Amino acid sequence: MGTDPADVWKLVQRADELVKYARNRDPHTAYAQARAVLDEAEALTGQLEQKAGDNFRAQIATRRDDIARFETES
Amino acid sequence: MFRKRDPEMAARIPPGQHLTRGWPVLSASPVPRFDPATWRFRCTGLCDGAEWSWDEFRALPHVTVTSDIHCVTAWSKLDNTWDGVLFSEVAKRAGVKPEVTHALVKAPYDYDANLPIDALMDDDVLFAWNHDGEPLEPKHGGPLRLVVPKRYFWKSTKWANEVEFLDHDQRGFWEVRGYHNEAFPFEEQRYSWQE
Repeated sequence: MGTDPADVWKLVQRADELVKYARNRDPHTAYAQARAVLDEAEALTGQLEQKAGDNFRAQIATRRDDIARFETES
Repeated sequence: MFRKRDPEMAARIPPGQHLTRGWPVLSASPVPRFDPATWRFRCTGLCDGAEWSWDEFRALPHVTVTSDIHCVTAWSKLDNTWDGVLFSEVAKRAGVKPEVTHALVKAPYDYDANLPIDALMDDDVLFAWNHDGEPLEPKHGGPLRLVVPKRYFWKSTKWANEVEFLDHDQRGFWEVRGYHNEAFPFEEQRYSWQE
């Protein structure tokens, strides 16, 4: 397998940072950027071992749900 | 001030951590409003149940504990003095059922953190209202936060207002978002992909 889980995690954390500061910026743009980074992270999970990939995909899905909720709240 | 040649202090710093003299603020949610007239602390799940107002909670037997903080974002802060009520005292008064193995300590905005009940019953685990002799600032979890010194600090739920006792493990807010279920700093258990 060619991807280090740490590389996926860095992207997930990048998405978290975008979400964290979204309300200080243009939230719509920030959430769209976060989703794009999550898409990038999810694409990498296909190169991980099955269990690690499944775990990351579940975490990414949770974050997409978070973003959808934040958007309705903002 | 920490110096690397102080081996006793260096032994208290887990790998990958650095000391801070300040206290960085990291939260997943806004700071909840605190109204002592309406605030309640509840024990739910596998227990007889308990509920305290702010005045009632403050009147419980309390302790002073000094311990270190290790945040997963790599800072550590040593020799923090906390005043509050031991988790074990809360559990005793809640009438925890024998089948309980884990608990979720909850806060507003759907925040929670999970731990084994044995870890929570340690004699250094408390719900704290004072830090270094001063009321805990809202940004740091005031009026009340859990303090679990042996785990990374996200396990120490800020603005704690409920304990749910469980007969199984159930991952909390950060644990389902990729952080380690156990979170031992000296083993650098930061992320769930390490499990």
